[in-house]
Amino acid sequence: MALTQDTSLLSSKSSTQSLIIPGLIFAAILASIWLAFQGEDVSEFPVFITDAFTFTAWVNAGEDFLKDNIKVYTRMVAGYVKDLYWMLEDFLLDSSWVFIAALLLIPSLAFGGIKLGFLVLFGTMYWGMVGLWDSAMETLALMGLSVFLSVAVGVILGIFCALSDRFERNMKPALDIMQVMPAFVYLIPAMFFFGIGGAPAILATMIYSMPPIIRLTNLGIRQVPNETVETATAFGSSKSQILFKVQIPLALPSIMMGVNQTIMMALALVVLATFIGAQGLGSDIWVSIKKLEVGAALEGGICVLLMAIMFDRFGKAASRETVTLPSDSQKFYLLPQTWDIYPIARQVEKPLQLIHFAFAFVFSSVIRIFSFILNSVISLFNKDYGSAIAQFINAHYFFFSGLLILIGIIYYDANVAAIGTFPDAWNLSIREEISAGVKSLVVNDTFISITKTIRSTVVIYLLRPFDFYLTYLPYWFTIGALVLISWKSVGIRFAIITAILLAFIGACNIWTEAMITLSSVLISVLLCFVIGVPIGILASYSKRFQNINEVILDAMQTLPYFCYLVPVLMFFGGGAFSALLATIIYSIPPIIRLTVLGLSQVSSTYSEVSKSFGGTTIQTLNKIKFPLAVPSLVMGFNQTVMMAFAMQIVTPLIGGKGLGLEVFNGLARSDTGRALAAGIGICLLAMIIDRISLAWTKKQRDALGL
Amino acid sequence: MKNSLFAKTFAALILSSFLVLSAGTANAKRLTAAVADWTGGELTCQVAVAILEEELGYRVDRIEFASGTGLWEAIAAGDIDFACESWPSYAEADDVMINMNLVYDGEVVKEYSGDGSVDAYTSGIIGMSDYYVPKYFVDANPDFKDWSDLNKFKDQFATPETGSKGRLIGCPVAGWNCHDQKRLDLLGIDFEASELGTEVAALAEAQGAYDRGEAFLLYLWEPHFFFGKNEMVGVKLPAYKYCDSFTEANNWQDCGTAAWPATGWDKDYTMNYMNPEVMSRPENAEAVAFFKKMAFSNTDQAKMLVRVGDDGLSVEEAVAEWKNSTDEWKAWLP
Repeated sequence: MALTQDTSLLSSKSSTQSLIIPGLIFAAILASIWLAFQGEDVSEFPVFITDAFTFTAWVNAGEDFLKDNIKVYTRMVAGYVKDLYWMLEDFLLDSSWVFIAALLLIPSLAFGGIKLGFLVLFGTMYWGMVGLWDSAMETLALMGLSVFLSVAVGVILGIFCALSDRFERNMKPALDIMQVMPAFVYLIPAMFFFGIGGAPAILATMIYSMPPIIRLTNLGIRQVPNETVETATAFGSSKSQILFKVQIPLALPSIMMGVNQTIMMALALVVLATFIGAQGLGSDIWVSIKKLEVGAALEGGICVLLMAIMFDRFGKAASRETVTLPSDSQKFYLLPQTWDIYPIARQVEKPLQLIHFAFAFVFSSVIRIFSFILNSVISLFNKDYGSAIAQFINAHYFFFSGLLILIGIIYYDANVAAIGTFPDAWNLSIREEISAGVKSLVVNDTFISITKTIRSTVVIYLLRPFDFYLTYLPYWFTIGALVLISWKSVGIRFAIITAILLAFIGACNIWTEAMITLSSVLISVLLCFVIGVPIGILASYSKRFQNINEVILDAMQTLPYFCYLVPVLMFFGGGAFSALLATIIYSIPPIIRLTVLGLSQVSSTYSEVSKSFGGTTIQTLNKIKFPLAVPSLVMGFNQTVMMAFAMQIVTPLIGGKGLGLEVFNGLARSDTGRALAAGIGICLLAMIIDRISLAWTKKQRDALGL
Repeated sequence: MKNSLFAKTFAALILSSFLVLSAGTANAKRLTAAVADWTGGELTCQVAVAILEEELGYRVDRIEFASGTGLWEAIAAGDIDFACESWPSYAEADDVMINMNLVYDGEVVKEYSGDGSVDAYTSGIIGMSDYYVPKYFVDANPDFKDWSDLNKFKDQFATPETGSKGRLIGCPVAGWNCHDQKRLDLLGIDFEASELGTEVAALAEAQGAYDRGEAFLLYLWEPHFFFGKNEMVGVKLPAYKYCDSFTEANNWQDCGTAAWPATGWDKDYTMNYMNPEVMSRPENAEAVAFFKKMAFSNTDQAKMLVRVGDDGLSVEEAVAEWKNSTDEWKAWLP
C-alpha cells in the first residue's frame, strides 16, 4: 500500500513537467541529428587551440628529464624486486614437481577440505600434462610476488585511508586512474626505468591490481560499528590496540575479498607482461597465437584460468569460518552439505569419511610418536619445555604431518631418486582436437552464414550510424549535452569539471578518436544490457542455470582474452565488429551478476504480497522486483561501462579504432606523450560516465528509501 | 589464531628453503638475446645463437620478446645485448637510434644518422612485401592478371564494413608505415585498406577466409610461414621507385603514381642490432666479427619455415638440422 502511494505521489508531482522535459530532450536529439548531417567532415577542435596546447611535447620533455635523473633510483628498486623474483622463480623451477604440487595441495586440504584438494590436484596435474609446467611456475612466481607485494602495500595504504579522511579524498582519484589507465601506456616507458622481465612486470601489475585491496581495506575498517570501537575505548584500549585487535580483525572478510579481486586483476595482466619480456604462460599463449595455434593458446589460457580459480577458492576457504553442524548430521566432504537428506549421498560420503578417519589416525599416531620421542629427549634437560613442545605438536598434527611429507619428498628427491620435472609420458594434450574443432566451424556454411548476418546487421545498422553521429556532431554540442547531464545528475561543480576534462581531450587533438571510443563503449554496453539482463533474470529464477552461469562468467573474466580472439577473428573477420564482440565477452559478467543479485535480494515478502493480490509472475517482476532492483542494475551497468572502457586498449589488436589505437600509434613511434594523452582521454571519459551513473544509483536509492 | 600460525610457519618454511639455493655461476662470455616472436625471426635468431654458443663458446640467455619499439629501447638501455632480423621498413626506431652505414655484400644499402644508441649489421635475409590473393582465386578467374584487374573483381572482395569497395587486409600496424590506403588511391584501386592492429589479426582473418575458399586480398611479406600452409599469388605491384619528397616531415607529400608509395616495396635488408657499449667489450669482439659476416639466406629460411610449420620440428631442431647439412655458416666465423 505504502509503495503505491509513494509512486502515485511521485507521478502527480512531476505530471506538469512530464511533457516539457521529454519534449526538450527529444528536440535536442533531433537538433543533434540535423547538426550531424550538416557537417562536411568529422568535428575537430579549432586548429589554433590544438596547436597551442602541446601536451604531447611537454610529456616527452618530462620523460627525458626523468630518464636523465631518476633512472639510478628506479633501477635500484627494480634490482631488489628482481632479486626476490629470481629467488622465488629458481625455487619453484629447481624443486621437484611433486614437492611443489604437495606444497600447494596440503594447505588446500587443510583449509578447503577434499573438494579444494581435488581442484588443486587437477590444476597442478593439468599444468604438467599439457607440458606447461615450467611456464606455470614462472607465472606462479610472478603472480605470487605481485599479489604479495600488492596486498602488503595495499593494506597499509587502505589503513591510512580509513584513518584519515583527507588521505582518502586524495587517494580516490588516484585509485580511479590506476584502475582505468590502460596498462600499455605505462608498460613500455616503465621498461626504461625498471628494466625488462619480471621486475617491471611485477611493478606494473601492482599499479593495476592494488586499487581493490586499498578500497576494500578502507571500506572494511570504516564499516566496523562505532559502538564496537567505543566499547573498546571504554575498556581503555589504546588507538593501536583498537586498530589491530578490533578494527582489522572485524574488517578481515572485506580485506579477503580485496585479496581475491587483486588476484583476479593480477592474472589479467599475465599476457600483457609478455610485451616487456616477462616469461611464463603469457609468453606461451602469445607465441601460440602468433602462429594461429588456437588449441595451444587455449590450453595455456586454461592453465591461467585454473591458477586463478585455485587462488580464488583458496582465499575464500581460508577466510571462511568453520561451519558447526548439528550433531546428528554426517559431515560431507565432497557433496553439498544440503544433500544430507538423501540416503544415496550419505552412502557415497561414507567411504570418504572412513578414509579421512584412517588418514587422521595414521598421521596423528605418527605425530604422537614423533612428539613423544621429542618430548623424552628434551625432558632430559627441561621437563616443562619438553611437554609444552609435545603438546604444541600434537595440537597441530595436520601441519606437522604436512611438514613431514614435504621433508620426505625433499629427502627422496635428493638421496633416493631425483624426481625432476613433470614426466613427459603423462602428456595428455587436446590442442589438436581443439584446433580441429575450430577449423570445422570455420568452414561450416550454416555457422558462417549466421556469423556473417550478425556482423553485417550490427555494422550497418548500429556501428556505422552511431560512429557517424558522434564524430560528425559538432564538439560544442556534445560537450554542452554532457555538461548539462552532469549538472542535472551530479551538480554544478562536477559540470564544470566535465567541461574542463572534455576541453582537455579536444585540445589534445584527439576529439574524433574519443568519440569513436565513446561510440564503441556505448554500443557494447547497450548490447551487454540487452543480452545480459534476460540471462540475469533467468538465472535468478533457476538455481541450476545460475550455477552453470557462474562458472562461465568466471571463465569469461579470467581466461586471457587473447585466447578467444583468434577464433573470433576466423569466424567474423577483423575490424570494428570483432572488437565489439571481444568487448562484450569481457564486460558482460558484471551486468549479469548484479541483475541476479538485485532480483534475488528483493525481500520475498514483497513478491508474496504481490502474489496474494493476484499478480502474475511477470507483473511481480515488472512492477515490484525490477523497480527495487534498479540500484543494483545501475551498479552493474556502471561496472560494465568501466570494463568496456578498459577493453578499448585491447581492441586495437584486432582492428578496433579510437583512443586505444592512438595509444598504440604513440608507443610504436616512441612517442610517450601521444600515448599518454590518449590513455588519459580514455580515463577521463570513463570517469565522467562513472560519476554520472553513480549519481543515478544514489538518486534511485534515495527515491526508494533504501 | 590457528590459521595465522599455520600461515606464518609455512612462510618461514618457504623462506628457509630459499637460503639453500645457490647463486648462478659467472661467465665472461655471456650475452642476452631477444628471440623474435614470429617464426622467421625466431629461426634467424636461433641460427645466430647456435653459432655463438656452439662455435664461439658464448653462453646466450634467450628472452622471448614481442617485437616493436619496446625492444629497441631495451637494447639501448642495455637490458638486452642483441636482437635479430629487424625489418627497416617497419621499424621507425632505426632512424632514431642507428648511426652507421648498413652494408650488404660489401655495398652500403642504407645510411643512418641517429643517436648511435644501437648498432646494426645485415642478417642476410632480404624481405619483400606485396599484396597477395589466394591461388584458387586466380585459377577460378583466368582474367585476373595483376593489380590492375582488382577493380573488375571488387564485388567478390567486398565486406559489410567496406560497402561497395573491396577490402584489403592491410599492413596491420600503423607504426610500420605501409601507406596502404594512399597506394590504393594513387593506383586507382577501389579498395579500402583495413588496419587490423596486429599481424595475428590479419592472418587469422585471412586463414579463415582461405579455409572457406573466399576471395581476399592480403598484405604480406616473404619469407613467411603463411606461405608454407597456403598457396598465395602476388598481384605484381609496379616496381619500387624512390621518391625524395615523400617523408613524414613534409606530411607525406606524394610523388604521384611514379614513385613510392604508388609502387611496391623496396628490398628490406633486415638487420641484427645490438648494444654498442656491450659489443665493444674485448670479450665480445668475436661476436661482433661474426655479426658483420653473417649472411643467412632467404631460401634456407623458407626451407626451415616449412620444416617447422608443416613437419612439426621445433625451431632448435630445424636449425640443428640445417647446421649439420651445410658448411655455409663456416664462412661467417671470425
